[in-house]
Amino acid sequence: MVIKMINFAWTIPLLPLLAFLIQLTLRTKGKKLWVSWIGVISTFLAFLYAVFLLLQSFVWNRAITDWKVDWLHIGSNVITVGASFTPIQIAMLFIVSLVSCLVQLYSMGYMKDDGRSNTFFAYLSLFTFSMLGLVISPNFLELYFFWELVGVCSFLLVGFYFDRESAKQAAKKAFIVTRIGDVGLFIAICLLYWQVGSFDFAVVKQAVDTNQLSAGMLTLIAILIFVGAVGKSGQFPLHTWLPDAMEGPTPVSALIHAATMVAAGVFLIAETYWLFEASPTALTVVAYIGAFTALFAAVIALTQTNIKRVLAYSTISQLGYMMLGLGSLGYGAGFFHLLTHAFFKALLFLVAGAVIVAFRHEQDIRKMGGLWKQQKWLAVMFLIGSLSIAGIPPFSGFFSKDEIFLAVYHSGRYTLFVAALLAAFCTAFYMFRVYFLVFTGKEPGEKTKSLSWHFQVPIWILAFFSIFAGFVQFPSHILGEWIGVTESSTLWWIPVAVTLIALLGVFLAYAIYQRRWVSAAKIAKYSGFGYRLSYRKFYVDECYQAVFVWTLKGLGWILMGWDRFILGGVAQFIKLLPRQLGEIGSFLQNGQVQRYLLISIFGTLILLLSITAGRLIG
Amino acid sequence: MNAEFFAFSLFSVFAIGGAVFFLNAIRVMHMALSLAFTFFSLAGIYLLLQAEFLAVVQVLVYAGGISILMIFGIMLTKPEESGASKSFQLHQWLSLIVVTGFFLVIMLIIYQNPIFAPTVKVYSPSVQSIGTTLFKDYAIPFELASILLLVALIGAIVLARKEQK
Amino acid sequence: MYLTSYLALAAILFCIGLYGVLTKRNAVMLLFSVELMLNAVNLNLVAFSRLGFFPNIEGQIFTFFTITVAAAEAAVGLAILIALYRKKETAEADQYNSLKG
Repeated sequence: MVIKMINFAWTIPLLPLLAFLIQLTLRTKGKKLWVSWIGVISTFLAFLYAVFLLLQSFVWNRAITDWKVDWLHIGSNVITVGASFTPIQIAMLFIVSLVSCLVQLYSMGYMKDDGRSNTFFAYLSLFTFSMLGLVISPNFLELYFFWELVGVCSFLLVGFYFDRESAKQAAKKAFIVTRIGDVGLFIAICLLYWQVGSFDFAVVKQAVDTNQLSAGMLTLIAILIFVGAVGKSGQFPLHTWLPDAMEGPTPVSALIHAATMVAAGVFLIAETYWLFEASPTALTVVAYIGAFTALFAAVIALTQTNIKRVLAYSTISQLGYMMLGLGSLGYGAGFFHLLTHAFFKALLFLVAGAVIVAFRHEQDIRKMGGLWKQQKWLAVMFLIGSLSIAGIPPFSGFFSKDEIFLAVYHSGRYTLFVAALLAAFCTAFYMFRVYFLVFTGKEPGEKTKSLSWHFQVPIWILAFFSIFAGFVQFPSHILGEWIGVTESSTLWWIPVAVTLIALLGVFLAYAIYQRRWVSAAKIAKYSGFGYRLSYRKFYVDECYQAVFVWTLKGLGWILMGWDRFILGGVAQFIKLLPRQLGEIGSFLQNGQVQRYLLISIFGTLILLLSITAGRLIG
Repeated sequence: MNAEFFAFSLFSVFAIGGAVFFLNAIRVMHMALSLAFTFFSLAGIYLLLQAEFLAVVQVLVYAGGISILMIFGIMLTKPEESGASKSFQLHQWLSLIVVTGFFLVIMLIIYQNPIFAPTVKVYSPSVQSIGTTLFKDYAIPFELASILLLVALIGAIVLARKEQK
Repeated sequence: MYLTSYLALAAILFCIGLYGVLTKRNAVMLLFSVELMLNAVNLNLVAFSRLGFFPNIEGQIFTFFTITVAAAEAAVGLAILIALYRKKETAEADQYNSLKG
């Protein structure tokens, strides 16, 4: 029985797919409650299966057989589809199915009053299917399919409230900006197939290990894959879509744009890490982009006033951390942070969603306050999430961040180390800024909405994981051993430094927003331009608008002019030529005897001239 | 010779003038009269060419019969002149060009091949000789012509008669 | 007198008649422009019968036939015109455009 279940592990994504098909058929007729339960249960079954696999692999150290069928025969090349179950894939299966299940449960409360909730749950099931398919893909082609499929789900869910113009714009932006990265990934896949002749990770890995590819080609492919990851994981300079994607419903933000899909970029790099290990240049690029994004997004998050946007920039920043960890040869660290981040960021988003519901769909943190008194458990949960992300021991974020810092320090890039420390400081500050603004201070005038159990259960579970997930790497490196990483020696002062700098950030937020020893407005005034830069997100959107949108628009105008005046002119000419000929013909054929006579006389004249021409000239 | 030249010039000018006036007259009756004048002048030309009988026939048939017929036609149809349309003006210009071209070609041919009448020829184009030739050599065409006239007479009556309802 | 002068006169008259046929808007006038052209032709025939290479009486005989036919043509043409006028209520030649396909 157990062996059989292992052999059929590839059926995990089919459960949500089945749910999606059922939900799609019941989209208009089905009862909301049943339709949502279908999604939750199917995802829960997938989760159970994932837990089973986790136990098999993690606890009993059994290898789970890959599954593979031939799909296309192109010449002598065979393209296969299938599933593989390496430890990180199983870990991702676990995270994705868990968070997805919890978010669906949460959505039952959150989307209760929405008329199109059936469609929403169908989309969520489709997303879960795509994401599970993505993580178990054994080759680049299959991965790319699911990669695009999650992009489509993201598009559909961000634009779920498509009657709102901003949601429409955000959905389009998310789709188009990630597409830029996807093109990079696609080119990388094409290059790999051209060079190696196979899409399979295993085959490609072997080719890389036996030095079949030149160093330059390897670097190019690695960087192009990283471009795909940049698009999906919202790294600078393609990060602009992620904050806008917060236009979608909050559970979507929690599931897709915090815990799972945006982590797909990091997962992709972890999955193809052998490629990056072979190319130090690519690793350097990953590290620098990651560090820059971590700091850059953290600075922006300092001044944002929309609670979801703060969390969005925080997500970008944390993804930057993961990239930094991976780029600094901290394969285990990066992946570990991906794991813990999925828990505490999903927790933070779900709490934020609950807060938004409690304040009757108000998202501006300046208009919130005093929730501690009325919904104490929410405040505690948010505090857990904030402590975790800020890196205060013993919460999970502390351990994963600590490992990243260690990896960066060992890689010897001290500027990146300092940048990461600064980002950690900013992270602590902005999270507690939100915390103090929302939960302390003046109580709201009217009573906040109480929340059903749908909200509470997922939050409790995620809080549990946020607190304790860190202990898979401490005191012994269970996770690291499982995914096959040898840990480097620890340095005692790094955890201390990380904790101290986080505490400093927390204290500063406390001083400004709780005690109000220093007025926030005054700081904003003194920092002047710096504040505006951060508040306007370093004008990246505006720059893109100017550089890409306007130039493309200009090009479009030129092309339109070309089309309308040059090509149109030619077409017009071609149209007019026969018409004019026809008009001349109809001018001749007007039915009047005199006209016909004129023509015949003209003919006679020509005849006469041609007969007598010789005589007339001679 | 001088007198003949003078007479030719005079009749030519009258004939051409009549024809031009026929083209340009505004009122239809003036056109008819000027055309009759041209026919008369042509009769004079025929006299110059020693075709006396033909000249008389010309006066009888054309200047008499056909001119009268024309006046009848004008009276029966109440001609009205409306402004020429643009396409008709174009038509007029094109006609002028074509006709001028035609005229130039013909004139060139005529003047490039001057024909001088042989001075030795003698024949008497008297009424008698015309009658002899017509009734001896051209008796059958003559009879056919008479039938043609009869058919034209009946046909004209049938065509022009008001339809009985 | 040369034959040329008569031929030139005939050509002038023929061309005037032709122009009339082409441009007159009154159908009656159109018909009589044709008569003018016929007259020009008659003049040619007579001139050739008197001053051509082979002076002969036949030219005049032909002219008689031409005149006969022209008279018949004028009569029948006018009859057709009147019938047409009754039908179309106009004598304008450019209104007679039922030849158009």
